[in-house]
Amino acid sequence: MALFTTRRSRRFRLRGTRNLRSAGYFLREKRWLIFAMIVGMLLYMAPVPDGLTYAGKTVLVISVVAVILFVTEPVPLPAVAFMIVIAQILMLKDVDSKQVAESLMSDSVLFIMGSLMLAVAIVKQKLDKRLAYLIVRMTGTKTLNVAVGIALVSGLMASVIGEHTVAAMMLPVAIILITLTSEDPKKVRGLAAVLLFSIAYGCSIAGIGTPSGGARNAIMIGYWKEFFYHGDEATKQYLVDYVSWIKVCYPVFLAQLPFVIGILFMTFKPEYKHLNRAVVRLRTQVEKEGSMKSSDWIAILVFFLTLLGWIFYSSELGLGTIALLGAVTYMVLGLVRWEDLNSGVNWGVVWLYAAAISLGIQMKDSGAALWVADSFIGILPSGMDSGIGLYASVSALTTIVTNTMSNGAAVAVLGPISLNMATTAGESPLILGYITAISSAFAYLTVIGTPACTIVYASGYLKTTDFLKVGWKMVIMSTLVLLAFAMFYWPAIGL
Amino acid sequence: MRTALFEDENDATKEHGSNRFNILVCIDGSKESRRGLKYAVKIGQGSDADITLLYVRPLDKGMKSGVGLARQNMVDWGIELPGMRALKKARDQLFELGFLDGDWKEEDTRKRAYGDPVGDTMKTYTDKNGTHIALKLMIAPNVAAGILDECELNEYDLTILAMHGRGAANVRGKIKWKTTRTVVTEHHGTVLLAREIEENHGHLICVNDDKSIEAARQDAILASRCQCPVYLFSVAETEEQLPQAKEAIVKARNVIEAAGVEVVDSWTDVGNPAEMIIKRGKDYSVIVMADSSVKGFRRFFQSSVAYDVLQHAYNSVMIIR
Repeated sequence: MALFTTRRSRRFRLRGTRNLRSAGYFLREKRWLIFAMIVGMLLYMAPVPDGLTYAGKTVLVISVVAVILFVTEPVPLPAVAFMIVIAQILMLKDVDSKQVAESLMSDSVLFIMGSLMLAVAIVKQKLDKRLAYLIVRMTGTKTLNVAVGIALVSGLMASVIGEHTVAAMMLPVAIILITLTSEDPKKVRGLAAVLLFSIAYGCSIAGIGTPSGGARNAIMIGYWKEFFYHGDEATKQYLVDYVSWIKVCYPVFLAQLPFVIGILFMTFKPEYKHLNRAVVRLRTQVEKEGSMKSSDWIAILVFFLTLLGWIFYSSELGLGTIALLGAVTYMVLGLVRWEDLNSGVNWGVVWLYAAAISLGIQMKDSGAALWVADSFIGILPSGMDSGIGLYASVSALTTIVTNTMSNGAAVAVLGPISLNMATTAGESPLILGYITAISSAFAYLTVIGTPACTIVYASGYLKTTDFLKVGWKMVIMSTLVLLAFAMFYWPAIGL
Repeated sequence: MRTALFEDENDATKEHGSNRFNILVCIDGSKESRRGLKYAVKIGQGSDADITLLYVRPLDKGMKSGVGLARQNMVDWGIELPGMRALKKARDQLFELGFLDGDWKEEDTRKRAYGDPVGDTMKTYTDKNGTHIALKLMIAPNVAAGILDECELNEYDLTILAMHGRGAANVRGKIKWKTTRTVVTEHHGTVLLAREIEENHGHLICVNDDKSIEAARQDAILASRCQCPVYLFSVAETEEQLPQAKEAIVKARNVIEAAGVEVVDSWTDVGNPAEMIIKRGKDYSVIVMADSSVKGFRRFFQSSVAYDVLQHAYNSVMIIR
């Protein structure tokens, strides 16, 4: 047929126009990059505002452009990280490449790198089926109990290792329970939502439980040390260790857990009150794995030793050193191959956090963070610029930002500002730091809010609107719990 | 540009499919994409057509680390990835419609792509007549890039995308207007945007210049595959241009009838071309347009009749190249 015989030659003719077409395609795909650059240029050409230095304005311009690129992702995020590094060197007169390179590597960054490697090492041990067995043995077959079990186990694990690891391990457990209940997704919409959100929100509320629960915690600990610790006894309180963090934050996680389950059941109303058939079949499937092997026990032991290292030695050695030690131990014992770590770790994330922290330090050094903090407090209505009003304002600001970008990046960007706000308002930098770090977990509204949300969405059972439907209730609940702790519990423990 | 996927299989497929009519149907699990598939079967009836079902899952980029890990875990547990569930549902629809004859041979392939160990998955079904169904679950930076990659790597005579609703409004399913616009703009071949597509209402072919007359000939051949009646329509922007519109109709009729296809009826009208075409076209299965003459950088700033119709039409639109 003529239609088909002419196709090849037409294709070659059209190839000539491909480049032109691609230019239009490129412009459309990169429109946010173009927008960010135009905004950056306009801000750069604008006069320096009162109270801000030229260097401070330049850092703010870089920050604004970086935030637009973080949110819209017109270029790969690691490229944004390198753009931040290059912009600092080229645009800041008093900063050279050596200083920027030094600011890129801190204990927080080592911790992020180590914990990502630990996450891959743990997933490679295939302990998820053991976990599934543990949950169904513990909970029985009642849907409510299974959801509580999933949220609790997800939370307990996500409080010590990265939430994406936990969500990745727990996702198959939930999907198996859903599919064994019904093959038709429409018949298990509510059940699927409850089980999957139990994982995502279980992980989200628990990630603030300990310093190793997420990059944001390590970043905040790094900022306290960088900004307020001067090597003397008077400022030693700003060297926050593992146990001190747990005392402040773990109860916040535990207090939210029953509310999470209540909100999920009220919002989605699962179709099945009991999961007898699914649980029995899951047990049978899991029991085929046989008993634990010696390598499984060694893997668990290495992880517990790492955890003990964080608890007892992190103030001397740093969280990052211990995380790296744990990852290296897995490799030395042959429990994970470097090739697996290399392909499993998203190294771009490490660079992104490194660049964001480096920019955060420049914000503080150039006075930009202080200027933004003063301006923010200046526009707050009376009563909101100190005490509980300020806590609520900072929490709301962080919640908005964290729903548009990763929580670690949100803390890296907002941390210097909120800590300076504390100084300006005469509040404790520790309290506002904790509020910023904890509020960064309230990314319940969007699929991209947290890795755990993205992972459960990848199951194909949830709609993007489900996140909004339940997310706003979660935001209100978590904010109220956080403010209650800031008002009553933290003062009681001497914070 | 990504490296060739399923390279060995593609070579074999190309060899096998050089004289066959290859249809690519983009599946997103929506009701619209299943209707689009039904239309593909109608066009592909006979034993000389192969259908490829494509589901693109976006690459886990940026801070979404962990999704790849989760997917790997799902595969290890024997759980099917969401895209494969949608593809299998579409495959079952093809079986029900009798696209494959009797017994078939099944083959599975998996390839790492974009550093994702789960990567791309392909399942092929071949019957004794050599008719193929391929199910492709591909990974790509975004859905549009995945579809364009697939069309670049394998030659398809027709690509079908299905979308619910006009323009950017009321779009259900995973294939949104942005994806459709990018695919149609960048594609080298013929694309059918199936929108609430209904069979048996015929193709309304819009003509105005030589390029559109060649497109009319191509679509007439396509329409003859599914015994769809063919109608011609030409719009003049002013009364003065009406003779040219009438001439275009005559030329198109001659070319189509020379190809052995009957033109059921034809009309000319005066007014805004996009509006007139959308208004008249809503009673037909498909509105057929030639590719836009607006290219490259200009397309970024300037629209064209074809793209206005594509965006605002109530029903399906085919852009012929």
